[in-house]
Amino acid sequence: MSHIRKNALALTAVAALLAACSNSRFVGNEEYGTDNQREMILRQTGGDPGASGLVVFGVDRSRQNQAAGGGGAGMTVNAFLWRATLDTLSFMPLASADPFGGVIITDWYTPPAAEGERFKATAYVTTRQLRSDGVRVQVFRQVNQRGAWVDAPTSAATNSELEDRVLARARELRSQSAGLR
Amino acid sequence: MRKILLGTTAVVSAVVGAAVMAPEASAQQAPTVRIGGSIQAYWGYIQQSGQQSDPGWSPTTPIGVPGANGGGAAAAPTGPTGAFGRLGKHDFVTIPQFSVIVTGKLANGITYGGNIDLTFNNQESRAVINRNVGVSRSAPAVDEAYVFIAHPRLGQIRFGDEDGVMGGLMNSGWITGFGTGGVFGVWENFQTRQNGNRTQTAPGGLGDNSKIVYMTPQFFGFDFGASYAPNFGSMGQHGCISDAVNTFCDRAYAFRGATDAAIPVRGGELAARRNEWQVAARWRGNLAGVGLAATAGYIGSGTALDMTLDNRQIRTLNGLDVWQVGVQASYMGFTAGAAYFRGNTNFFWGNTIRGSRPGEQLTAGLAYTAGPLTVGANFMSGLFEGNGPSTFDPTTGAVTRNATAGRARMRRWGMGVGANYTLAPGLSLIAEYVHHSIREQGTDQDVGRAGPQNRGYSNTFILGTRLAF
Repeated sequence: MSHIRKNALALTAVAALLAACSNSRFVGNEEYGTDNQREMILRQTGGDPGASGLVVFGVDRSRQNQAAGGGGAGMTVNAFLWRATLDTLSFMPLASADPFGGVIITDWYTPPAAEGERFKATAYVTTRQLRSDGVRVQVFRQVNQRGAWVDAPTSAATNSELEDRVLARARELRSQSAGLR
Repeated sequence: MRKILLGTTAVVSAVVGAAVMAPEASAQQAPTVRIGGSIQAYWGYIQQSGQQSDPGWSPTTPIGVPGANGGGAAAAPTGPTGAFGRLGKHDFVTIPQFSVIVTGKLANGITYGGNIDLTFNNQESRAVINRNVGVSRSAPAVDEAYVFIAHPRLGQIRFGDEDGVMGGLMNSGWITGFGTGGVFGVWENFQTRQNGNRTQTAPGGLGDNSKIVYMTPQFFGFDFGASYAPNFGSMGQHGCISDAVNTFCDRAYAFRGATDAAIPVRGGELAARRNEWQVAARWRGNLAGVGLAATAGYIGSGTALDMTLDNRQIRTLNGLDVWQVGVQASYMGFTAGAAYFRGNTNFFWGNTIRGSRPGEQLTAGLAYTAGPLTVGANFMSGLFEGNGPSTFDPTTGAVTRNATAGRARMRRWGMGVGANYTLAPGLSLIAEYVHHSIREQGTDQDVGRAGPQNRGYSNTFILGTRLAF
């Protein structure tokens, strides 16, 4: 059996190397079988083994995740960042908002004090975590030249300023939420 | 500004209490220690062979007392002949468990943690001369206890007492997600020993001895795993006193009596298995809306050597040498699967004595879930080496096939039908029926009845509830 053993171990080593390459996906503990009675019962009855039980040390992240998700099923991006982005861009008309993909697209908007130019914004919420790099905003600008709207560059700081406003609002929402618990 | 966001959040959190600290603000997560557990309580009604001795029949072996093969000394009590035992047909069984679960995450993406599982009602008492010895059934015993470290690109390592990759972690085709698991469920808790019916050949029956496990990430639907354990012992370093080496030392690679330790002894934590290793390849995917999973794997081992009276080391046992394949599919609430294994093993996942036939087993099952209700059925049919196929002579060192070896073919089959109704997450009601049968020509499966009984059987009906938290 030694040659079979060597072959099997070699295959395992190759598999490990391949897995370390691209196209790999992390396999969570819940994807492995178990004969742990607690875990089997929770899996069978729809309970979450990672969120059940009593937390005696550390932070109960399962509750925070539920809170961050607003308790709603299907939310795939951080709820604080999502809500903050909506709030921040609410002065512009909304064209579309996809909470699953985390994309918010506004319609063209002309500020009252700047007739002759208009703005449109696209925002991407990219993470489930409340992270400072979890939101990206891109602003587009057009100016009216002889009755036709023509693309025009925006200030490089505009995008960053809007992102900072989103993050500030997310911080406020997070703080308010923390104070409730 | 971005630093202010994080810093201010931390400050606010510190003010309102640590419990509201936002871990999502940082990729790194401090470890969380969680205590959980489960309680199972069942009523069982059992009809099985061996429940009583025939009036006037004088058995040579008391009911429920193991022969030498079972690890105990068999001796009939003195007194009136026959009719000295009666078993009731119903009982309650309670199975508590505690788990301590630790999880954490480092800033570089590595997750880590560990499990300690304390089970009660886990130990099977050994019966020796009509007395139960060993620990109480209500004493705690560690089931799993391991540390894991996982990286998204490199996979996961588990180190400690844990099941192997083919001993429960990556198997496919074993349909046990209904009732308590059907023919692989808790009905065994209601059976008498040692000739009693049971199904030790589920993946988890292989044992969670101290081992190291490596499992790869998944790529193109495939993931792989391998595990190694130096011996059968849970926790390790069992019974190795300094001045004697025997069955109860898990590091002994040669000792007198190793042949009799082919199946687990001392509470099921010691046996002759050495250098156990397992490999598994699993594929999971989705074709036309049907969820599919398939696993192929191998379980191999060496064994401890027996010794002659003049201290020669003799290999009397086969190493484990078992291939297993399994497939399962799920669609619209239905899950169906089948698994088959064949190789050198007995029905305890024990080593067979040299010259024994390979063991083989087929299992299949079907389950259906509709809302809170899950119903299902499964069966197993296995063919294994029977009792006493060969004898080791410690004087000559020879392993000789017994004259009665032709009988040494044991057929075990069973089927289970069950349902569970989920009242709340973690809480369910259970109803289940299991039939199991053992047939072996020339071996008495019911010593309480007159004449050799080649068949032992059990019908078990269970009602109960279980709660996990």
